[in-house]
Amino acid sequence: MPGLLSSPVCLTVVWFLSWSLRPSCAQIWTNEVSDVQFGRLGSNVTLTCGKSNIRTPAVWHLNRSSALPWHKVRSDGALVLLQVNHSAQGNYSCSDSQGLLLHSINLRLGHPPGLLSISCQVPNHAHVRCSWVEPVKTFLPAKYNASFRGTGQEWTPCVVNVARKHCDVDHPAFWSSMHTLRITETNGLGSETTFIQFQLHKLLKPDPPQSVSVMGIEGYPMRLNVSWDYPSSWPRLPAFPLIFQIRYQPLGSAYWSEINSEGTTVIICDALAGHLHQVQVRARDEVNPETQWSEWSPVLPVWPWSVSTTPDPEEEDFFPFSTKPETSTAESHNVVPEDGGNLGLVILLVLFSVVILTTVFSFIFAVWVRQKRRNHVTKQELTSMVKMKSMPI
Amino acid sequence: MKLLLDSSSSLLFSLLLAQLPVFTSGSPVPQRRTTEMDKLSNQTKNLLKLTQELLKDHAFEADVEPHRFRSLPEMSNRSANDLNNLELKPTLSQLHSDLKLYEHHFEWLNRVSKKHHHPAVPKLVEMIREIKSLISLLHRQMKFVKVETPRLTPVAPSLPPHLPYHFDVLQSSHELLQHFKLFCDWAYRAFISLKPKVTATAVQ
Repeated sequence: MPGLLSSPVCLTVVWFLSWSLRPSCAQIWTNEVSDVQFGRLGSNVTLTCGKSNIRTPAVWHLNRSSALPWHKVRSDGALVLLQVNHSAQGNYSCSDSQGLLLHSINLRLGHPPGLLSISCQVPNHAHVRCSWVEPVKTFLPAKYNASFRGTGQEWTPCVVNVARKHCDVDHPAFWSSMHTLRITETNGLGSETTFIQFQLHKLLKPDPPQSVSVMGIEGYPMRLNVSWDYPSSWPRLPAFPLIFQIRYQPLGSAYWSEINSEGTTVIICDALAGHLHQVQVRARDEVNPETQWSEWSPVLPVWPWSVSTTPDPEEEDFFPFSTKPETSTAESHNVVPEDGGNLGLVILLVLFSVVILTTVFSFIFAVWVRQKRRNHVTKQELTSMVKMKSMPI
Repeated sequence: MKLLLDSSSSLLFSLLLAQLPVFTSGSPVPQRRTTEMDKLSNQTKNLLKLTQELLKDHAFEADVEPHRFRSLPEMSNRSANDLNNLELKPTLSQLHSDLKLYEHHFEWLNRVSKKHHHPAVPKLVEMIREIKSLISLLHRQMKFVKVETPRLTPVAPSLPPHLPYHFDVLQSSHELLQHFKLFCDWAYRAFISLKPKVTATAVQ
């Protein structure tokens, strides 16, 4: 007998029988627990007791309990749940009077999809991310299908992340006059498509500049050196220049001073000596002023250089003046400290003034001399004329 | 006395001569040599600014879906990737023919706007003048890098000789300006991307 059991033919038969029986068992199991029915909250929901035409009254249970929400049972055994709320959600089972399970249903309650509230972020010219929220919660699992297109273009997929409720488009046709995003949400109670139209360039908003650093400059108590990098999400290519705005204030002041720069470093020359300053930087596409400024980089505190290198903590409290500092919006291109140059400029200006003054005086002197000479000549002519007149003819 | 006069004149002359280097080196920022490509990009930026000003004057609150001009250069198939891989000669040639098309459309818009006494006419005239100036600069640059200007200009698209309503003029104007704004944005980026390539061509 053991030999018979272990024979290959017998083993094959046993394997075949177990294989052919397995799915049918699973199906029964599936029927018991996985028939999902969706119902709308606040409405009447009818649960049928399978396809069987039962003669005896059906007995319904919710989560194995006979306590059911507000309901009635129809003559055909169907259970009608009236004006359902969340408490009516769960696993329903119906059985005959002998307790034989006839059918089971998992009831899930919620709302059909509504129009979505969509917003898109454009951190550079090559990427668009659109996120959405449901103004009315559906309470039901949903699928999303999103597509994107520029004017006159074919629809291209916007790759959906269901968990985070956003979708991404890489390399959109950026210079299209209008762009459309279409998102279809589908759940057990229906589907709804939301369209949104926008112009990408108006949504273009870089990420804030990175690696911002500020430090005082030795020997210059009114200067601060600020440097930063392009945001990593922005391509460092000639076609996509950024313009930066730097703002700074002594701690406690109500006003910010601002400088614009196309480079990635700037020297602040009018810091308040001996006071703690706050500095921030933000970026915008340099070409199109209709695009948006990035958010400001985090506030960086900095002390300008002072003779006593360790700042007195007492001083850290407040900026003592409430007057508005001068706001500078001058363009700045990588300013380099050049006090020597300034001194030279002053000397040059003084020399220039001396030269101008000398020129003016020389000119006046020359004119005066010429006038005097002319007067002298006229006088001589007059004298000679008088002489000639007095001469006897 | 004559000697004094002569000496004062020569002093004056020498002082003026002495000031020459002061005047020439007195500029606070060292002047960067402006290349032809800089001129092209600057002129394109001027046009972009002018277009944005004209659009601000428009009464249109919403941005309308364009539909009127099928004959304008295709902008909706251009992506950021294209700007990284531009070839000098075909791009200059393409920009030239695109600008000619815009010139044609703006001249048409100017004609129909005049008939409706549209207040934007003076600015449109300025726009056309600036476009012509850009075309001429581009033409010069194309000659410099030995790009053939197309001898046969493409057949100008036919546009209606007049628009019946003032609203049509407004709508056409808005659409054309929106389109041209995007073109200028792209063209500016193209010019600044191509600048190193022109320098390389010049060296060869």
